[in-house]
Amino acid sequence: MANFDFYFTRLMYESGDWDVDIRMPSNVLNSLVEYTTLRVDPVERMVALSDPAMLQAPFCYLAGHKLVQFTPSERRNLERYVRGGGFVFVDDCNHDIDGLFAKSFESEMTKIFGASALKKIPNTHRLYSSFFKFDGPPTTGGELNGWGDDLVHEYLKAIEFGGRVRLLYSNKDYGCEWDYDFRNKRFLAVDNTRFAVNIIQYALGA
Amino acid sequence: MKQLNQEQAKRITDRVIAFSKADECNVSIQGNRTGNIRFARNGVSTAGLTEDMQLAVRVAFGKRVGTAVVNEFDDKSLEKAVRRAEELARLAPENPEFVPSVSKQDYLATQTFMASTAAIDPDYRAEVAAAAIGAARARKLVTAGFFTDNNRFSCIANSKGVFGFQEFTDLSFTCTARTEDGRGSGWVTRSAVDARRFNAREAADIAIDKALRSMDAKALEPGRYTVILEPAATSEILGNMFSSLGARAADEGRSFLAKKGGGNRLGEKLFDEQVNIWADPWNPDVPVAPWDDDTMLARKRTDIVKNGRIASLDYSPYWAQKTGKQATAGHGNMIMAGGSKSLEELIAGTKKGIVVTRTWYIRMVDPQSLLITGLTRDGTFYVENGKIKHPVKNFRFNESPVTILNNIDELGKPEVIGGDESPFQMVLPPMKVRDFNFTSLSDAV
Repeated sequence: MANFDFYFTRLMYESGDWDVDIRMPSNVLNSLVEYTTLRVDPVERMVALSDPAMLQAPFCYLAGHKLVQFTPSERRNLERYVRGGGFVFVDDCNHDIDGLFAKSFESEMTKIFGASALKKIPNTHRLYSSFFKFDGPPTTGGELNGWGDDLVHEYLKAIEFGGRVRLLYSNKDYGCEWDYDFRNKRFLAVDNTRFAVNIIQYALGA
Repeated sequence: MKQLNQEQAKRITDRVIAFSKADECNVSIQGNRTGNIRFARNGVSTAGLTEDMQLAVRVAFGKRVGTAVVNEFDDKSLEKAVRRAEELARLAPENPEFVPSVSKQDYLATQTFMASTAAIDPDYRAEVAAAAIGAARARKLVTAGFFTDNNRFSCIANSKGVFGFQEFTDLSFTCTARTEDGRGSGWVTRSAVDARRFNAREAADIAIDKALRSMDAKALEPGRYTVILEPAATSEILGNMFSSLGARAADEGRSFLAKKGGGNRLGEKLFDEQVNIWADPWNPDVPVAPWDDDTMLARKRTDIVKNGRIASLDYSPYWAQKTGKQATAGHGNMIMAGGSKSLEELIAGTKKGIVVTRTWYIRMVDPQSLLITGLTRDGTFYVENGKIKHPVKNFRFNESPVTILNNIDELGKPEVIGGDESPFQMVLPPMKVRDFNFTSLSDAV
């Protein structure tokens, strides 16, 4: 295997539609190439959450619209990965805190990590300045246009271990916001994938 | 009211010019006979014929300009109009951007008149309505539409030897079909110079088919999708771009063709190589007058975009003078090259996407990026693995034609489409475009 600083791992899970926002990974990987000196594998990897191979990943992404109900092996691997120093970014494609994905995912987190594990992080969190400077989680076009629950969520939630975020959870549908051909970044006044760079830099230790 | 022929029109313009004592005199005569029929709720609501003829005279003393319009053509009325224009010119402040009128121009006639269209009569119009209404009733749909046909002439002349005369015919038709419960809507538009190329039944069937297929629309998440845009989905969007090709706005930094730091983008590659757009008054599908009414300049075949590069900008007489360039005649039509595939073939080659029948309620958001917003309507469909799976709820979009024309996956066979709010007669291909930006949902059908 070639020597990469980073590769993008999408987690497959049995209960829902994990294969969403299919252009987002290559767009985000393009941003890492453009903004950082990381040696990036341009190929997205899709690994089953139930497969112990995911434990090797420097970063994992999990998203969907539908039910999140992990199998015992999925649950076991996720817990081991998160407690053991990995990083998962979870994104709710529905942009709906009352939606099926949000409710069922939060329920799973309670089951695995306990009722108080998933907490809002402050807008002064290191995540928001790990590479580019943000005042908090940037808004998305979808939420400004009333998608999903018609709310602008001004926070992200996270599960922390050892003073570090190990699981980052968004209801903001960033996957959809970043889901476009990377060649179209040139038409944006401000590149909206910059926050993805922050997340990944933080995951890698920044 | 009888339409003038060339000889009659010339006699009148000669008289008007002879009456004038000004430094220069420009005359324009426009006459039209327009038939129309409107139907709604499966019945004809109005039908009629309007006829009109007007003469406009514009004179200049130095840089002072006056205009008068008249619709009586005896010598006394003509002279009165000329005197009024001259009186107004003497009173007017100087126009610092005044440029003298053009001298004699050679106008090569274009085929803008078709006897088949000129012969349209009330029976023909009734048959157009009957075709749509009959087809809709047979399927328990409610239809509304508007058909109009035009037989007109245009004559321009000036005191420096310009003379042009031409007759025109055209027709246009729109039809909306709705399900009785209002949950399905389809729509079609047609325009033609030659009535032999118009088939009301064929057109109505398209609207009807879309109405039937657009019931029970499902909501899809807004985002960037591959879309198949029919010509009626792009005509207003591109029409905005075609109206934004002025060199002055570009040079002054106000348009999408302005360069940061100064200058314009003439010659730059701004679009996908597949994009070829030109204006040609002799184009057989969308013939237009061989002159520009505003400047009286003779029109030419002009490449606007060549293999994705900006090939020409529009120079008004004043801006041409100021920048030392050649003034250009405003264009009357726009033709965009395409491929050979039909809409159905574009759909068959699409793994996942959305077919957009029509966009409407188009508004400019930002002229400097040509960001435009609007809504889809009258049949928006989800495609998967080459087949239309189901109708989808309509969307609002925010997108620029610059972005659209950079994201072309494939172009279909071009079709004639008249502008709704755009002044151009257009020939546009259906387009398969990636990453089209839908921003929210719309409850309208």
